[in-house]
Amino acid sequence: MNEHPNDYIKPELMACCGAREIQDGDVVVVGTGFPTMSANIAKHTHAPRAVMLQESGVYDARPRRPALSVGDACLNPGAAMIGGLVDVMGMFLQGGWVDVGFLSGSQVDRYGNINTTCIGPYDHPRSRLPGSGGANPIGTLAKRVLIIVQHNPRRLTARVDFMTTPGYIDGPGAREKWNMPPDTGPHVIVTNKAVLRFDPATKEAYLASYHPGHTIDEIRSFTGWDLQVADDVCETEPPRAEELQVLREVLDPHRMIKIYEGKGYV
Amino acid sequence: MSKVMTIKEAVAAYIHNDDFVYIGGYICRTPFSAIHEIIRQKKTGLTITRGNAADDFDMMIGAGVVRRFISTFISLGLYGLARCYRRSLEKGIPHKIEVEEYTNLSLPMMLMAGAMGMPFVPVKDLMGTDLLKIKGFLGENKYKLIDSPFDGKPVLLVPALNPDVGIIHVQQADENGNAQIWGIGGDCKYGANASKKVIVSCERIVSREVIGKDPSRTIVPDFKVVAVVEEPFASHPGYTPGFYDIDFGFGYLYKEASGTEEGFQAFLKEWVYDIPDRAAYIQHFIDRFGYAGYKKLQAKFDYGYPVSYEY
Repeated sequence: MNEHPNDYIKPELMACCGAREIQDGDVVVVGTGFPTMSANIAKHTHAPRAVMLQESGVYDARPRRPALSVGDACLNPGAAMIGGLVDVMGMFLQGGWVDVGFLSGSQVDRYGNINTTCIGPYDHPRSRLPGSGGANPIGTLAKRVLIIVQHNPRRLTARVDFMTTPGYIDGPGAREKWNMPPDTGPHVIVTNKAVLRFDPATKEAYLASYHPGHTIDEIRSFTGWDLQVADDVCETEPPRAEELQVLREVLDPHRMIKIYEGKGYV
Repeated sequence: MSKVMTIKEAVAAYIHNDDFVYIGGYICRTPFSAIHEIIRQKKTGLTITRGNAADDFDMMIGAGVVRRFISTFISLGLYGLARCYRRSLEKGIPHKIEVEEYTNLSLPMMLMAGAMGMPFVPVKDLMGTDLLKIKGFLGENKYKLIDSPFDGKPVLLVPALNPDVGIIHVQQADENGNAQIWGIGGDCKYGANASKKVIVSCERIVSREVIGKDPSRTIVPDFKVVAVVEEPFASHPGYTPGFYDIDFGFGYLYKEASGTEEGFQAFLKEWVYDIPDRAAYIQHFIDRFGYAGYKKLQAKFDYGYPVSYEY
């Protein structure tokens, strides 16, 4: 079963990288797009007992079409439980029940801090972004945060213009100082070029694996800080046949994932 | 005196300039009909709030009815950044609104605290980030960071919110305002109950007897409700579970229109200012997109087992 077809596109590889971080039985808070695809790939392969929540109030949805927002109509019929924001973000997330949260952002820095608020000064933004939504509490409270971002020095930056969502803030001890729950925080950054993980001592993201077709030098030059490289750095495992089969035949038969190529995930 | 009235009457009677207004919805059951009426009546100086805002709040900001926004997030979802919101904050068009920013945990908790009559509520989010550094119109009352009286560790307190008016759209309500929903809740239960008075629009008015067949679905009791408006299709281009689907095509139309100030004004003229009420809105929708376009949005039916509360 571990064949690796070579006709995959980069967003498919990224979705698989996300899926591999999910363990069987995990409670996963998902948004739309990559998170849902990753969680579903995991569910159809190695993690059949992983379950999903949408912050809008839904548990274990059974959508018959890909959800295009966390409030999508298709999330309603068939779900196991529907409440609201206080139920999911309060009872389940703040209550400590969420294992995995998926986030993305316009900027992500070396400590896994995320900006979805503004580019430029807050009072006079060059570009005003949506704001936190559920990102800040997920980044604060989920046990493992998976971050998806495009790999270029504007987005993977030494310091975010605005810290909407906490990663490891300014390094070791910072989350503890702010009384965040123990054993929470960023776990991995998946980009279109690489997978980064976090050094347990420095809390800084380092290069763990490079996607096929990319080099360590290229990745370092596309990163906004002096990216450290793991001793055991290796090539990212390409999508397995069974992962692609789930993605293409079950989850996304219309290949909507291709829109991410247009957004620069190539 | 009957609470049943038109949305025009409800907005005229119960929403005043400079009011603090909670507006429910999460694409699911967005009270768009009321939002259009607020814009038509050219209310000014409103403070608006709810978790996860979308095209509905963007439209109010662009139309100039908003002074302040207690926010967690605003975007056009699939269609990217909220254009009117950006024009307001980046360019001051039509004016720069004041924003106070929380998250999809803390803001719903603040509404819950308001509904419960609590003065404030501790939350675990926001800590250590720039969301603590920026303070808007609430100033020092945005939050208080204290050492917990129980274990001495840092804990964040955020204030309760009690809007002057809450507006929600629901599937069904009776004539007195007992309001029932099913499907994605967002923060509408707490937002409505935190409000000093509630305007309910609904897909259908049902009898008190029908409400009593499944009372667990009621999220707002009639004694909080001041107006009940029967307003089918009121959430379009959002949706109401069991009644009609999201209109993604209309979402695209709004994105394109709101991309420029001129386009946005033309959109308002066509879909808000020149439309007297929701019935005319539906007629205009059918004129523009055909009856097939309207019919396509109508929900299928798939009933569950009826529940029995008998003893």
